[in-house]
Amino acid sequence: MAVLNRDDWYDIARDVEWTLSYVAEEDAFPAEWQGAAGIPRDAWDAWDEPVRATYREYVATQREKDAGVYAVKEAFRRSGAFERLDPGHQAIAVLHFGGIAAIEYAAVTLEARFARFAPTPRWRNIAIYGMLDEIRHTQLDLAFAHDLLEHSPQFDWAQKAYHTHAWGIVAVRHLFDDAMLGASCIDGAIATSLTIEHGFTSMQFAALAASAMAAGDVSFSNLLSSIQTDEARHAQQGFPTLEILARHDRRRAQELLDVSFWRALRLFQMIAGPAMDYYTPLGHRAQSFKEFMLAWVVDPHERVLADHGLERPWYWETVLASLEHGHHAIHLGLWFWRRTLFFHPSAGVSKAERAWLRGKYPGWEASWGCLWDVIIDNVNAGRRALTYPETLPALCNVCQLALGSALDRHQVRPYLTEHDGRRYQFCSEPCQWIFERAPERYAGHHNLVERFISGQIAPMDLEGGLAYMGVTPDVMGDDCHGYRWAADYREG
Amino acid sequence: MALFPIYGRFIGDCVPHLVAVDTGDTMAQVAEKIAVHSVGRRVAPRPDATGFEVLVGGQRVDGDAVLGSLGLHPLDWVVVRFRGQEDA
Repeated sequence: MAVLNRDDWYDIARDVEWTLSYVAEEDAFPAEWQGAAGIPRDAWDAWDEPVRATYREYVATQREKDAGVYAVKEAFRRSGAFERLDPGHQAIAVLHFGGIAAIEYAAVTLEARFARFAPTPRWRNIAIYGMLDEIRHTQLDLAFAHDLLEHSPQFDWAQKAYHTHAWGIVAVRHLFDDAMLGASCIDGAIATSLTIEHGFTSMQFAALAASAMAAGDVSFSNLLSSIQTDEARHAQQGFPTLEILARHDRRRAQELLDVSFWRALRLFQMIAGPAMDYYTPLGHRAQSFKEFMLAWVVDPHERVLADHGLERPWYWETVLASLEHGHHAIHLGLWFWRRTLFFHPSAGVSKAERAWLRGKYPGWEASWGCLWDVIIDNVNAGRRALTYPETLPALCNVCQLALGSALDRHQVRPYLTEHDGRRYQFCSEPCQWIFERAPERYAGHHNLVERFISGQIAPMDLEGGLAYMGVTPDVMGDDCHGYRWAADYREG
Repeated sequence: MALFPIYGRFIGDCVPHLVAVDTGDTMAQVAEKIAVHSVGRRVAPRPDATGFEVLVGGQRVDGDAVLGSLGLHPLDWVVVRFRGQEDA
């Protein structure tokens, strides 16, 4: 029997839709789940996925990818190569699995929401693949992290992290609750598929895969590449959605993009910034975080905006200033508050590394090097106690990161908003704007400082804080190179 | 006299801190409690400095003033700098 070519039947199979008779349209597709209020129903007829795949093709491709990535994982495990990797790279692996595994699982929920509630059957059809992608990514992350448990109990945080109140995890969870779990289909497609997945993670995974390969972690590199190919495909759900939204509600499209771009930037300053500029061994750095962001995130985002008749965000100058400083501030904070982490951070400020930082960031010494000089003196003088904090940093009520961590240390200043009798504080104008445009979305959340002073964390000291965050002595962070880098600065 | 949480910023440091002070503290005492989290940890000590200055809402506050008399809210910012330091 003759078999039809794919293009002869694809549209018929994909566009499965029928007229509802037992329930009302608005009951089957509630507005708050779909998020398409104000957009004409027939506008969605123009929605078309850029990447076409039949279920048979999808499964065949995924099976092939899984076979390859699991084979490399087994070979790498038997080789014992992980033990020989630089501790800075090992820190990246722990951070990745702890920070990402459960987010992949949360993404299953978002894709499932698309598959059930999206306003066109075309989108609902392609979201099934996205859902299966994210299940696969969760399984891969957990399987890889499980193998690595023999090297460190920190890899258990692939399972544990999102069941804790560790401060960095609170920050990531706050973003993804906003952009993914608490978002309608339209909002989720713009914030997560288009901005976070297409704009940030897809390219970041490609860069991290290259870096891991250069560092000798063939297995991690293969994992990232395999996931990236899925991300690149299912992130495409964002583009046809943006085209329709921008045509019918330009202001909402602009605001959704502006909110999600700043929020994603702050997250990446915490996760990717230190990894690229401080944890990756010097010889394996292809480009700085700022260079990467400008070339692969900022410029492409400007093109996306221009292509859809949208403007740069009003805070664009703040983005450019933040790329010079934000991740340096966060890195210093991660290292200084290292006992609150579930991984061992790299200081990354040996003399050779400082020379590299100066070359990439001409203002680095004046803004950040002088702070590290005090730390280095304390390390070399045996005053280790002074390299640890005795209290919490002030925290932002939107990004949950430290106040002062968005810009240069000379520009630290309060951003305050009163709402319903409560005062909220922010790291920057964009975070303040995000709160003020939708205060009901964020007002109920308490950051860790607010939980501390309201008595939710007891006893009110470091031990109480660590217990609240779930950080145990077997995983507690310390300098991953054992402070050996500070020897560069010892006299004689 | 009661425990009172403020955000203390030492000028030159990159982050304000949660600092537990007492409503009966003088601002000179508050300055010491804020400085201990920054000076000698990330901000280089200045052996030639003759103490600290305190600013609230951009205005210099007398070191003898008592915190409880200033009408601050919890987590209000109190800014401290070396006396004579202007590089805010």
